[in-house]
Amino acid sequence: MNGNTTITATVGHLLTPAERQHWKLAWLSTVDHKRIGILYMLIGLVFFVFGGIEALLIRLQLIVPNNTLLGPDTYNWMFTMHGTTMIFLVAMPVLFGIMNYILPLQIGARDMAFPRLNALGVWLVPFGGILLHFSFLAGGPPAVGWFAYTPLSEAPYSSQLGVDYWAISLLVLGVGSVSAGINFIVTVLTQRAPGMTLRRLPLFSWMVFMNAFLVILALPLLNAALVMLLIDRLLGGRFFLPFGGGSAILWQHIFWAFGHPEVYIVAIPAFAILSEVIPVFSRKPIFGHEFVAASTVIIVFLSLLVWAHHMFTVGLGHTIDLFFVAASVLIAVPTGVKLFNWSATMVGGRVRFTTPMLYCVAALLQFLIGGLTGISHAVAPLDWQTKNSYYLVAHFHNIFVGLIVFAILGGIYYWFPKMSGRMLSERIGKWTFWLMTIGFNLTFMIQHVLGLAGMPRRTFTYPDLPGWTWMNMVSTIGAFFMAAGSILFVWDLVTSLFRGKPAGDNPWNAWTLEWATTSPPPHENFNALPPIHSRRPLWDYANPDRPDPVVPVGGAIDTFRPDKIKAGVMTFIISEFGFFGVLILTYLFYNATSKSGPGAQQLDVLKTTIFSICLFASSFTIWQSEVGLRANNLGKMKAWLIATIVLGGIFIVGQGLEYWSLFQSGVTVGLDLFATTFFTLTGFHGLHVFFGLLALLVVLGVALISNPKNGRFPALGAVGYYWHFVDVVWVFVFSIVYLWPLIR
Amino acid sequence: MNAQLANAAVLIADVVKVFHPQSPQARAIFDLTIVVIVVMVIIFAVVVGIVLYALLGFPRWREGERDPEQGEGNKTIEIVWTAVPLAIVIILFVLSARTMGISDPPPPPKPDIVVIGHQWWWEARYTNSGAVVANEIHIPMGKSVALRLDAVDVLHEFWVPELGRKLTTVPGHPNHLWIQSDKPATYLGFCTEFCGTQHAWMHFLLVAESQADFEKWEQAQVGPAPAPSSENAQKGLALFEQMSCVNCHTIKGTIASATFGPDLTHFASRKQLGAGIVNNTPENLRRWLHNPQQVKVGAKMPNFKFTDEQVTQLADYIETLK
Amino acid sequence: MTTQQFFTSTWTWNLAALASIAAALVAYVWAFGLGRRILYLIAGLGVFVLALISPLNALAAGYLFSAHMLQHILLLLIVPALVWMSLPRWVSLGSRSWLVANPFVGWIAGVGAMWLWHARPLCNAAVSSQFVNALQISSLILLGTIFWRQILAPREEERMSPPGAVLYLFSACVACSILGILITFSPVSVCPIYAQPPTDRLRILNLIQSNWGITPDKDQQIGGLLMWVPMCLVYLSAIVAQLARWFAHPVASAPVMDKHL
Repeated sequence: MNGNTTITATVGHLLTPAERQHWKLAWLSTVDHKRIGILYMLIGLVFFVFGGIEALLIRLQLIVPNNTLLGPDTYNWMFTMHGTTMIFLVAMPVLFGIMNYILPLQIGARDMAFPRLNALGVWLVPFGGILLHFSFLAGGPPAVGWFAYTPLSEAPYSSQLGVDYWAISLLVLGVGSVSAGINFIVTVLTQRAPGMTLRRLPLFSWMVFMNAFLVILALPLLNAALVMLLIDRLLGGRFFLPFGGGSAILWQHIFWAFGHPEVYIVAIPAFAILSEVIPVFSRKPIFGHEFVAASTVIIVFLSLLVWAHHMFTVGLGHTIDLFFVAASVLIAVPTGVKLFNWSATMVGGRVRFTTPMLYCVAALLQFLIGGLTGISHAVAPLDWQTKNSYYLVAHFHNIFVGLIVFAILGGIYYWFPKMSGRMLSERIGKWTFWLMTIGFNLTFMIQHVLGLAGMPRRTFTYPDLPGWTWMNMVSTIGAFFMAAGSILFVWDLVTSLFRGKPAGDNPWNAWTLEWATTSPPPHENFNALPPIHSRRPLWDYANPDRPDPVVPVGGAIDTFRPDKIKAGVMTFIISEFGFFGVLILTYLFYNATSKSGPGAQQLDVLKTTIFSICLFASSFTIWQSEVGLRANNLGKMKAWLIATIVLGGIFIVGQGLEYWSLFQSGVTVGLDLFATTFFTLTGFHGLHVFFGLLALLVVLGVALISNPKNGRFPALGAVGYYWHFVDVVWVFVFSIVYLWPLIR
Repeated sequence: MNAQLANAAVLIADVVKVFHPQSPQARAIFDLTIVVIVVMVIIFAVVVGIVLYALLGFPRWREGERDPEQGEGNKTIEIVWTAVPLAIVIILFVLSARTMGISDPPPPPKPDIVVIGHQWWWEARYTNSGAVVANEIHIPMGKSVALRLDAVDVLHEFWVPELGRKLTTVPGHPNHLWIQSDKPATYLGFCTEFCGTQHAWMHFLLVAESQADFEKWEQAQVGPAPAPSSENAQKGLALFEQMSCVNCHTIKGTIASATFGPDLTHFASRKQLGAGIVNNTPENLRRWLHNPQQVKVGAKMPNFKFTDEQVTQLADYIETLK
Repeated sequence: MTTQQFFTSTWTWNLAALASIAAALVAYVWAFGLGRRILYLIAGLGVFVLALISPLNALAAGYLFSAHMLQHILLLLIVPALVWMSLPRWVSLGSRSWLVANPFVGWIAGVGAMWLWHARPLCNAAVSSQFVNALQISSLILLGTIFWRQILAPREEERMSPPGAVLYLFSACVACSILGILITFSPVSVCPIYAQPPTDRLRILNLIQSNWGITPDKDQQIGGLLMWVPMCLVYLSAIVAQLARWFAHPVASAPVMDKHL
């Protein structure tokens, strides 16, 4: 194809005529899921360079024993930033970007359910990333490892601001992730094309859907841990400081309750990519679709139950250890089901080794190894030997790089034609594949042995013990192969964007709906849709003589299509359960015995009861307001709404006064464990009330300005749900903090 | 050829410490490791077998060819490859429970040695004799010794690969570990929980020796430091007592009784210095005293900027602390 | 005594329990006759009887909190589920009562039963008072029945749809896990009557604490953990069954116009 090869022309080809003059603004202000997806991926790529350089520096420092390339502090910065960057600023954004781009297309939708929320999600990534990296200029990055165990990450042992930047940036990123999770769930529930029932969802979309539940359940747990750490560091709290009565191990529990689901949050999208690519290049549908789909649900479920297998060496006791052994070995079963099904898909097919297929088959085999070493870790006595050694480093890199990076590369080689209208180069692609595969295996296979030889992880250097030097050297050489492969990959991306072969609508002869439109798709995604009776609409369309068996429509759930706004709020509320759950459990854990200080006895229960009653009453008033709206009685609606705001305001003022009087009598956050937990729990609840009040004021303002007609004012219902939730939380908090000590 | 293989095997075993168990506890774990490795190899072979069968047993894709029989799945196979792994993991669970009991028996009411992790050195207090040492822990061979693990600052982790499991030292939450060596040997131990700047150099030596040798060593460690005889050494002791050394270190028999830093009473009997960063030689000792930060940057001992003469006197004194 | 002696000699008579299962069997046969499904009923009643007369009951009666927890799980989750599964598919029970048919009520019944009976005064009373104990057993059976109706009602249309059922079971697991976490990690005794050595009527205290190594602390941990992984495994099995139900479909060969869409 002849054509201009300037940037403007290429990008211009992806823009509407009206946008071409302001293409930068068009991309910066976009709410189109396709552009947002690409932005996610580009941002991830930028941070991949950072994380990659950090990895190379680490490996260079370790190439020989007693090396002096990096001092200990610098090295400790490097591995902390490498882990944090790769997980939160590379893996998650890139995967969320791919999911963002493909999900609406696969379900035949026009866009995500909440396009503007989607834009917020993507821009929070560079914001969080810059915040994290700002620490380089503010005294140094964090040097505590990506999971920041306490007490090391507490102020006495990490006095620089690095950890604070780390915590705050992760909070920012967490908000973005949860918003993306909410968006994925509501999109699948509300934006499916006619005929696309839940059971007809292709596996990629089904897994994105399941994964989103894990995102909204797990990220808030991290948020709770981070705010508690920040309260310790900045306000003198006692959560994780043993000398203050806190528990250093509590951090590990909360972090890993997030952390283990997190590794599935990045693994499941990789599974999703494999589940798309392998069938297409085997020319057969996935073997056992229902089993792979069901195993995803089970993995989501079990991944929330296994976290303490990261703590086998902490000394929780055999009893507790054993239960987590049980759950952890169990999760191997649904994981194995997937591996077997992918492999069986290829049996009887006509395998086509395109670059995406190469990457995905390699991912399958490398994940097999990573999964098997995972089983060895689940067997606690083995973990007692291998944990915190290079054997563990090898295990998790087999998953993060061997599975996830390879699946991402496979996915990009697969979907780049759709996104840009051009094919990536198969020739360069195969070069990148071999460089990455050789590099990856050189780097990490030997680390299994290195770990068994006794080398601990996170060590800036090592003694000259037999075998350690050459093993480290091999590992370092492999890293440079991967660097070369990555550079070549970026080269391929850039050159193919300008000079790649035109792709056409469906270059791979694939079967899901994203291939039923142009490459790239038009702004509204589809001009027309084929009939959807199975999971492979395009196969049915192209093979009327042997279509897939129709997936019947069964029951209301298949066509369940809730109101978008209600679904969004409910999903948000579900995400909040985890956050408050952690705070409440922590409060209970630390206040179960009345040994820490004056405790709850010094609270003025009567006053609090009064303003609590106001809050509970406000649930009634907002309900009345909704009743008024439904009866089209705008006056009634506004009046009850005002009443709700007033009652909520009384609660906030009451709580403020209570805090004030406590401060006056010297009860501040850092006084003792009770004070720390009390202020944190009630404070965050109060914050939620406050934001609820702001939302109510906005709703009132909108109602006053533009009188809603015909009883349609979804914002009121949405805020109503949120408001009821806040009240329910207060029922629990009030009972536990104020009432329970009275009857105890 | 056989001899070469045997030698290689021994060499590998020596290097791969986890496969070189030297205690009943480590052996119990090693035995289970073999079982798990066999399981892993079998599952690996099965999956690779299926993939190879797929790749080699059927023709490759050709442009323009009709797609093959589409197929859907097979419920029976699915149940089989769910049930068989389920059975395997249940067996692994049972074996885990058994091995946990053998490799990590319950602790006695009173430990033999209290091991305390510091940033970045190991303290060991012998409860029976009262001996206090740093970074070099002796035990009698063939006997099970009960450790209580603790920490004063952050999390550390105690690990001797040849002897068994690793266990975190948690401030405020003592843990218990049995340690035992079949033979007399000196093992290198590591801190394996990232604990800050010099985590990499928080090694310790675990010396297992005959009962007689151990008792001799322990007796020597209990006693106070011998009084210095040479003039330089006496000046060194005077310096030690005047300078802020006494703020951090203990030397039994002198006024120095602080516990922030390692107990130096019998420092000269130790093989290593600085928790394993260098060997305990006169030259290294002088380098350390000149500027500890040059030897182990970030160590909690600051650079006192001693003059050469002061360094010589201090070193001469410290070398008498056998 | 030894473990073997323990397992052979601590079975207790429970006339009420035996009478109720006899009554249940009779009622079933009279209403539905004999069929294959009666095997489920026999299994359920068997578990019921075992929970109440086997050595497990002896342990739960003041010796081991974890045994009492196991008893709970059997009575709340296993017995009612098996009984539901024994009913022929044409039976419609409870659909006329809004209360019983409502999924929220069902959920609160199942989860609430666990939480309620671990409130300290109630937990203690159930061990020390025969009456409260009987109340506990009957309430667990009743509430478990209401809980499982949503999943196992004989008629397909009276059950929750599979995805809804998955959420129902998943959230129940989370709720019970929270209780399990609280119990496992609680620094205080959740059910103090088990923490003090009971009057050792059966003389098995030594067996439990020395031979089996179960101290009161460990006992509470085990109890909390039982609520967690094993209980959630019950829910997980039900979820697997729901997914199987949802994805199972007859194979049609020609594309059909879906009238609903």
